[in-house]
Amino acid sequence: MTSCWSHLLTAKEVMYICPFRGPLRGTVNVTNYRLFFRCMDQEPVFVLDLPLGVVSRVEKIGGASSRGDVSYGLYTFTFQKNERLNKEDVHNTKRLLSLPQPIFAFEYGQVFPENGWKVYDAIAEYKRQGIPNESWRVTKANDHYELCDTYPSSLAVPVNIPDEDIRRVAAFRAKGRIPVLSWIHPESQATVTRCSQPMVGVNGKRSKEDEKYLQAIMDANAQSHKLFIFDARPSVNAAANKMKGGGYESEDAYQNAELVFLDIHNIHVMRESLRKLKEVVYPNIEEPHWLSNLESTHWLEHIKLIMAGALRIADKVESGKTSVVVHCSDGWDRTAQLTSLSMLMLDGFYRTTRGFQVLLEKEWLSFGHRFQLRIGHGDKNHTDADRSPVFVQFIDCVWQMTRQFPAAFEFNENFLVTMLDHLYSGLFGTFLCNSEQQRELPKRSMSLWSFINSQLEDFSNPLYVNYSNHVLFPVVSLRHLELWVGYYVRWNPRMRPQEPVHQRYKELLARRAELQRRVEELQREVTNRSASSSSERAGSPTRSITPVQTFV
Amino acid sequence: CQCTRNPGPGSGSSLIPLFLCITSGEIVVNEVNFVRKCIGAEKSHDDLWGKLICTNFKVSFVTHEALAQPRFQVSNRLLGEHDIPLACVDQVVTVNDAKGKKKVLGSNQKLKFNPSELILYCKDFRIVRFSFDEAGPEGAKKVCLAIAHYSRPADPQLLFGFELIGTRYLEDGLNGARPAGGSQTPLFACSSDWDREIKRTGAAEWRVCSVNQGYGVSPSLPEFFVVPASLADQDLRQYAEAFSGQRLPVWCWNHPNGSALTRMAAITDPLQQKRLDQRICNAIIKSHPQRGDVHKADLDKNLPSIQQVNNSLVRLRHICVIDPFEETEEKWLSSVENSQWLDYVRTFLKHSCDVVYILEGLNASVILQEEEGRDLSCVVSSLVQIMVDPHFRSLSGFQSLVQKEWVMAGHRFLDRCNHLKKSDKEESPLFLLFLDCVWQLMNQYPSAFEFTETYLALLSDSMWVPVFSTFLFNGPKHHDFLEDKKITLGEGEELCLPPVWDWSQQLSITDQALFNNPIYVGKAAPYAHNGAVKSFRRTKTGWSSTLRGTPPALARNGLQGSQGTLPRRNSLAAQLKSDLFPVRDVPESPSERFARDWFSGPADPQGLLLPQLLPSHLALWRLYFLRWVPEAVIPRGGPVTAVHAVSQLAHEIETLQSQLRRYKGPTPGSTPRASPAGGPPGTPHAEPSRMFFKAGSLYEPSPPPEFLSSSFPFTPVGNLCRPNLRGTPISKLLNGAKTWLSTETLAGETA
Repeated sequence: MTSCWSHLLTAKEVMYICPFRGPLRGTVNVTNYRLFFRCMDQEPVFVLDLPLGVVSRVEKIGGASSRGDVSYGLYTFTFQKNERLNKEDVHNTKRLLSLPQPIFAFEYGQVFPENGWKVYDAIAEYKRQGIPNESWRVTKANDHYELCDTYPSSLAVPVNIPDEDIRRVAAFRAKGRIPVLSWIHPESQATVTRCSQPMVGVNGKRSKEDEKYLQAIMDANAQSHKLFIFDARPSVNAAANKMKGGGYESEDAYQNAELVFLDIHNIHVMRESLRKLKEVVYPNIEEPHWLSNLESTHWLEHIKLIMAGALRIADKVESGKTSVVVHCSDGWDRTAQLTSLSMLMLDGFYRTTRGFQVLLEKEWLSFGHRFQLRIGHGDKNHTDADRSPVFVQFIDCVWQMTRQFPAAFEFNENFLVTMLDHLYSGLFGTFLCNSEQQRELPKRSMSLWSFINSQLEDFSNPLYVNYSNHVLFPVVSLRHLELWVGYYVRWNPRMRPQEPVHQRYKELLARRAELQRRVEELQREVTNRSASSSSERAGSPTRSITPVQTFV
Repeated sequence: CQCTRNPGPGSGSSLIPLFLCITSGEIVVNEVNFVRKCIGAEKSHDDLWGKLICTNFKVSFVTHEALAQPRFQVSNRLLGEHDIPLACVDQVVTVNDAKGKKKVLGSNQKLKFNPSELILYCKDFRIVRFSFDEAGPEGAKKVCLAIAHYSRPADPQLLFGFELIGTRYLEDGLNGARPAGGSQTPLFACSSDWDREIKRTGAAEWRVCSVNQGYGVSPSLPEFFVVPASLADQDLRQYAEAFSGQRLPVWCWNHPNGSALTRMAAITDPLQQKRLDQRICNAIIKSHPQRGDVHKADLDKNLPSIQQVNNSLVRLRHICVIDPFEETEEKWLSSVENSQWLDYVRTFLKHSCDVVYILEGLNASVILQEEEGRDLSCVVSSLVQIMVDPHFRSLSGFQSLVQKEWVMAGHRFLDRCNHLKKSDKEESPLFLLFLDCVWQLMNQYPSAFEFTETYLALLSDSMWVPVFSTFLFNGPKHHDFLEDKKITLGEGEELCLPPVWDWSQQLSITDQALFNNPIYVGKAAPYAHNGAVKSFRRTKTGWSSTLRGTPPALARNGLQGSQGTLPRRNSLAAQLKSDLFPVRDVPESPSERFARDWFSGPADPQGLLLPQLLPSHLALWRLYFLRWVPEAVIPRGGPVTAVHAVSQLAHEIETLQSQLRRYKGPTPGSTPRASPAGGPPGTPHAEPSRMFFKAGSLYEPSPPPEFLSSSFPFTPVGNLCRPNLRGTPISKLLNGAKTWLSTETLAGETA
């Protein structure tokens, strides 16, 4: 236990209504970090341990009963677990659980040998990609977030576009999110760039600077005289955005550009889909119609569309050697999913543990995916329409890729699940706030990467083989996409995680190390012996030599 | 392999050197030249030119051209790259494009048009297409008719396996491959195999009985089988008459706690039913060391019929290989559900778990009862034994199990495979269903099996190579069968077909390494902990949910979750009332409780294994069902890439071990010398590696080679040519990303 945890409340004789095992009687403790329930009646002891950060809402159910007792139903909803407590005599619990709570991350005092805040350095990552080069430069135009407050301070832009033009481009793009470089192909120089929608509006407004800018992106790649603009949205939705001043690039205005709609739905559709999925898998799985129930949630269909979009981007860049521009409406949800997934396919670096952290820090955190808003940290309005599982969905896509390429990723499933757990736990500062600008404060807390990089062993995939520069093209078909049982169904007591091949692999690694050691020992012994025996043979040739002993 | 240079008739044939792989006893029936084998669906430039040959064993396509794409294929010693055994051909369809005609050909039929295309639908899910636009119309027609005729042999003599009778398998093997050094699988045709099995399982109160020697009692039971020691031969002879097919109750296996697994047919004589039942139960109870109870499992009542299983596979085949890929995509999950295949897999596994519970949890013996006792009970009894007894999860153990519970128990392979195309009603893929169930277990417990899913797929494919005694008969009594079919054996001739377990008939030793699971934990594993066979008992450990690498300060069952937002459709309070105790509608059965207790502890790969039966945990066996589908192939991906990585490591371990052995090798008194390579002298008795994939350079695993894919070691190239398939796979896939619009989508477009 860390000293920074303060104990706030204890209540005995509390009834917890477990969706799997029925009512359980036990003791509840609430600290400033978590709720802890323990039932001693059962063998083995039942424990429920709940970081307050994962509590989505608290409701009082029932009131004073006729006997004058007060009973509360605490309904803590998270995706994997619906937990309910019927409790007597404790008034305070509800008060304590009522959100907002101060986020525990700032009080968490655990010290780790690694400093996760140092994992990502924008300039170093640009350098790794070879930026700046003759076509791309890193601009200081957003040094104090004056160009765009949801973007990072350092941005890579085409060399021949001066900063004043960039400001005009910013005026034409929603929220000032101009097209900037996310990734560049080391050989073909084809690039992945990201931005928000152009402010075309109903009247079809144009911006010379924006058109020139996109031309510059195309020109930066000598291999192709075309530019692909991937609009993540369904075309109907993109058109609907014109009513609100947004829209999409017209092919008349942007010469040599081809616009493709990727038909990915918005955050509300995704939220609804996950809600349905929750109903299908929790608390019990209906046996007779499992697959058609799963189909009716459309969750895997959404996963498929996102991965198909990313695959098209990767295919254009790798096989077509063509640069691409990716946007949705604001460019912080679907766009982040698409750029980061395609980069994961294209660049083996991002498939290492640290590389993946860089990818998240860069494409999600620094480019302003609104974690605070989408997750609702410390916010009690659980029906907030801004909440959405965009990031969960992205991690699900990554998991799908690890299933198809079990040896291509340095990290394991545990890494992905741990990340999602701490997305909600409030223990680490990594996923707090909405943008780089706001994130000065969280840096006073612990980074999730500090924790993970201090015990990499737990998160590494022993099967990892460096595919070097091989591009991964997953099969984006429902024949291969699966429900991520290890995440969505893990609370079901009938569920046991699949036997880890990894464990077995580690045993083999240890065995190999042991054998290697013995072989080397013997080799040394043999060398010594033959050296000594040759000298001895000169002296006393009759001397017999004891055989080498081995124990296999 | 006797490769005949076959110049073929006609002048043009000299351009194409044709090599036809001929197995002894095989004869060419008909052939036609200048045939195009369709490779790509749309463009024909990938297609191969060659000669289409029909022999009495297979359809052969002989070409000197090679496929354009990098690929890998296990080379079968009996079959060439493009060959299809006639027994594997399910349907022969001839097409005339110009006339728009199509005909499904049967045996001895006429064809009124000249075919421009021939499509062969195969039992192993392949669809192969040939085009005759440059071939002579008469020749093409003749070959089509020959294929149709020989693939639906009205006369059993036409089934190729029986051609081989009397040929010198024992001296030569088929094809000259040495027989049976490798096959140490007990066949359970002699009493000593049964004796050993009794000893191995400690079934002291059971004995091998030989009343059926010469098949005098029951034609479908083996000559030797095991019965309770308290039943005398004369009783058995007397009882037999009352059983369907005279199939007396026979012993399958003993649980270490003394409970026995037995199977029997229905008692047909209603007058004797009660008395016989009683006697048999008493005898089984007497054979139990603690006089444990006997439970009867009525399989006909609780399991789907063989026809239902067959219909299910037909539906599954449709959605996997016949329907266009992209059109089935949107409804894929519900289509799989509608096929009911996974449902049936689950039902069989579930039922087997219930039997395990009786044996293990109740310490009672079980009788599997089925009308004939030769179909459903084969599946259940073998699954039960695989779950409980780790011996059957080794390669030779598994093979002996199939021998014991399928071949010797009289499963009608000949009818169920429908080799003679006699009755479609009798056809049923029960054996494939069984292999799928084994795959589910293997998928859930990857280190518990000595063999791989590739082995299961190749075993299943061997059913369609009709030369193995394993799959050719309806029971252990072969001779009679032959007499029935008027197949006569010459003087001194003996029916001696190899069992499928003699894998050298089909595969080289190198390719047989594909069978070995590199992460197997078991007695046979030469590396890692040489797991001693542990007791079947398990230790119970505390219940806690999955713990993900939370910091030590963090909680144990950290309920960490996700989406917070639950749109408030219905009031929470209302919901609560309806399901205040939503725990379970159905009370947990004792067998489910048993399974739940078992699941709360860690699994021991050498102990009892129960499958997860939640529908979310059963998967489609992709390697088997999707291996020919080009759109579904993951290049350099799939589970095999994990096998590839582990194999390299396992191979390094083997190498190190053999180095150690060589150090150990020199006899006392001799001087070990260090050789330049670091490898010391000694006997260079290098055993062949058990691993198919070898480590390239030591200690640096290499990435998967280009030929590796999720279909490995099979290749979809040229093996799935669906008629009317348009578009190359990837473009189709991407263009076909279908969308649907909900009203919310339009209303809520704000993000």
